[in-house]
Amino acid sequence: MFAKLKKKIAEEAATAPRTGGRIPRSASKESITSVGADSGDDFASDGSSSRDDLSSQVLRRNDQVRRLEAKLTDYAEQLRIMQKTKEKVEFALEKHQDSSMRKLQEQNEAHQASRTKMAEGQTLALEKKDQEWMEKMAVLEKEKDVLKMRVEELTEKSLTLFQKRDDRDELETFQQQELAKVKHMLLRKEEQLSQREKELEGKEVQLQSARRSLAEAQGRLHLLGQEHQEFSQLNTELEIEREELLVSRDEAESRVREAEQRSRVVEQRSRELQAVIQQVSDDFQKSQALVSCLERSLYSLQTEHNNLKLQQHKAEVVEEDHASTLSELQAKVVSLERRLQQDFSLDQHLQELLEEKREVEQRLEKAREDLLEARTSHADTVSSLEAQITALEQQVVEASEKIQRAEQEITEQQEQLSRMQALWASEKASLDQQLVVERQLRENTTDRLEQEKAVVQSESHTQLDAVRLRMGCLEEAKRCMEEERDKAFSSLQARAEELTAARAELSSRQTVSVEIAMALEDSRKQREELQAQVGDLLKSHDAVQQEVAVLTNQLTEKEEQITMLQNELQASRACVIQLQAQLEGQQAQAEQQEAEKDQQLARLREDAVSQSQLLDSCQSRMSFLEVEVETLTEQLQPPEPCIPSEQNGAVTVDDLHLLQKTNRDLEQQLADKNRTVKQLQQRLAELKRTFQKELDQRPSSDPLATSCSSFTTSSPAPPPGPAPSPSLAMPRRPTSTCTVTNTSDLNDSREINFEYLKHVVLKFMSCREAEAFHLIRAVSVLLNFTREEEDMLKQTLEYKMSWFGSKPSPKGSIRPSISGAAAHWS
Amino acid sequence: MRILILGLDGAGKTTILYRLQVGEVVTTIPTIGFNVETVSYKNLKFQVWDLGGQTSIRPYWRCYYSNTDAVIYVVDSSDRDRMGISKSELVAMLEEEELKKAILVVFANKQDMEQAMTPTEVANALGLPCLKDRKWQIFKTSATKGTGLDEAMEWLVESLKSRQ
Repeated sequence: MFAKLKKKIAEEAATAPRTGGRIPRSASKESITSVGADSGDDFASDGSSSRDDLSSQVLRRNDQVRRLEAKLTDYAEQLRIMQKTKEKVEFALEKHQDSSMRKLQEQNEAHQASRTKMAEGQTLALEKKDQEWMEKMAVLEKEKDVLKMRVEELTEKSLTLFQKRDDRDELETFQQQELAKVKHMLLRKEEQLSQREKELEGKEVQLQSARRSLAEAQGRLHLLGQEHQEFSQLNTELEIEREELLVSRDEAESRVREAEQRSRVVEQRSRELQAVIQQVSDDFQKSQALVSCLERSLYSLQTEHNNLKLQQHKAEVVEEDHASTLSELQAKVVSLERRLQQDFSLDQHLQELLEEKREVEQRLEKAREDLLEARTSHADTVSSLEAQITALEQQVVEASEKIQRAEQEITEQQEQLSRMQALWASEKASLDQQLVVERQLRENTTDRLEQEKAVVQSESHTQLDAVRLRMGCLEEAKRCMEEERDKAFSSLQARAEELTAARAELSSRQTVSVEIAMALEDSRKQREELQAQVGDLLKSHDAVQQEVAVLTNQLTEKEEQITMLQNELQASRACVIQLQAQLEGQQAQAEQQEAEKDQQLARLREDAVSQSQLLDSCQSRMSFLEVEVETLTEQLQPPEPCIPSEQNGAVTVDDLHLLQKTNRDLEQQLADKNRTVKQLQQRLAELKRTFQKELDQRPSSDPLATSCSSFTTSSPAPPPGPAPSPSLAMPRRPTSTCTVTNTSDLNDSREINFEYLKHVVLKFMSCREAEAFHLIRAVSVLLNFTREEEDMLKQTLEYKMSWFGSKPSPKGSIRPSISGAAAHWS
Repeated sequence: MRILILGLDGAGKTTILYRLQVGEVVTTIPTIGFNVETVSYKNLKFQVWDLGGQTSIRPYWRCYYSNTDAVIYVVDSSDRDRMGISKSELVAMLEEEELKKAILVVFANKQDMEQAMTPTEVANALGLPCLKDRKWQIFKTSATKGTGLDEAMEWLVESLKSRQ
């Protein structure tokens, strides 16, 4: 339907432009009317065309109108259809619209609902999201804060880390130290631990030993208890035995009583026997005393006999001596007689000898008599003694016989007694033995048993005590040990805890240290790398520095060389300048001196001439005076004989005195003049010498002056040597030169002058101002200062010396020295 | 007090200076220039200048004459040949205006030598008796032995004190 419509509309659209009117899209009646209106306009416009065509045109128009009417009808029909369709369409459209509207409304509503829902949902969601986001934001902000905090912390941490890194070295060192300390402590603790363990082991060993000993002691105690029981058993047995023995003892005592009765009988008998024995022994003692008396007398007699024998022997010896002396004397007598026979003349001597002989013979005879007497007395005593001896011997024999008899009796008696005694003794002994044996046995046994018992008891007691003590000791020891052990255990545990703690600490520290060490190692590596780099850089730097140093050294050397060279140059220049100045000064001096010397010389010459003239005049006057004197003497001589003329003589004497006076005066004058002449000559000679020296020095200085390139001025020609008396000057020269150059080889006065200048300037610069003030003059003379320069120098020194005052201005004193000197030297 | 020690070369000026200052004999070399030392004697301080006596530097003596209180003129008593030179130098020195008021002490030095002239001989050779308007005295000295120096200094001190 719409397609048809569209087709129609398209057709209308195709026709419309041909009419030139506008065709609206919505085709309706209005468009037809508009078409008509348009045609009317067309008609109006074409009104000017020819009337001929009007009919045709009207026909055409009629046709067209018919066609159009047909068309119109068609159109109307179509319109009607169209309207129908339109209505239908409108209806449908309305329907559709309604439906669509409804739908739309529905949709719209739905949509709005949905939209509201959506919006609500969305708003909700948004709110939710917003909230979420807000939350998230809050969270994020928190996180951000946290992060900021963290960042701050991190920065702080980083700072701290930096600090830590800074302190790392210290920490490292501390750590190492602490590690060392901890290790040391650990080692010590371990050592202590080991010691404690050892001690503990020792204690345990001791404990064990103590326990063992305790067990042993207990065992011993047990044993001792057993022993005690045994001993108590034994004791009971022994008591039984003792009772038995007591019974036997009673028996034995009864037996002993019997034996005692028997013994009493035997004792009676023995007493009798003893009385007999005592009698016999008394007799025996008596006889023995007699025997001893006899023996004593015999002994005394024997001693007497021996004495006598000795005396006899002595006498014999004396006799022999006498005989020997006699024989000697006889020999002497013989010899004396011989001598007598030989020498008869010596009567006196002989007589004396004879007297002597006689005396000797008398003495001999006396001695013989004495000897005889001694012999006789001796023999008498011997015989009497022998008789006594014999009697005594007889007595002795008798006594001995008696003794033998008594002895025999005694022996018999003794034998009897001994037999009796033996019998008795044997009986008694047997009884006693029995008794004793029994008693001893019993006593021994009892003693033994008691002793044993006591011993056993004491032993047991002591042992028990000891054991108890020991037990107590051991228990105490055990307690102590246990305490010690507990302590040790506790200390051990503490130590172990400490150890573990220390180990844990150590391990933590080790871990820390390991970490640190790792970090350190890393840092060390880095540092090493850096150090290596630094080392390389340093090496290169050192090398560069060395090069620089070498170069600087070279530079300094070069500079030094340069400075040295400059100094040398300056020095040489100064030398040159000084030399020039000196040369000029010398020249000027020399010229001055020359002039002075010339003047002096001239003066001296004049003096000399005048002196010589004076001398000549004096000499002439002297000669004249001498002549006068001669004439006067001559005059005097003639008047001498004619003394009478007193007036004349007086006059002549006065004249003479006068003349003598004048003569003396003149002589004195002459001497003075001579002296002055000598002095003048000496001075002249010295001046000549110095002049000669100067002249000698001049040519030596000339080549030096010419050698200076700058010095080109005319060297003064050596002045003609005055030398009026070269014979006087020539021989003196060597002595003068030798006196001048006696000590040094500074032959050249220039050199000496330079030396002098150097010394003075050095002193001037080095000494104090007060001394330097005195040296200004010398310096200014040596360096040819002008007066202004000297004054300036003085003023400066005064200024330096004074406390106050202003520095003097160098008023043109330097400038002329520069310009003047430059002008002078160039 | 300013004292100059003058005299020909080799007369013993430097030896005398150091004998006065330190009381010892020093080994000397020829003085090219001068030596200046402060010598104190009897509570008086002297600034003693020993000027070199070489012929070529003798003219410079006059540079030191100003403000001089005394001159010690040293003569080698054994050097008879140069006595005349010594005299002429002495005379030339004494003619200086700056030394008109200076006291003159002559040391007839080297008296220990055998051929030494006596002080009177030296005085006559130097023409000292002819001096007028001059306070002078001659002493025989030996710088190496140290004799005569004390007397000379005693006299010098006394005359300097009396002059003041």
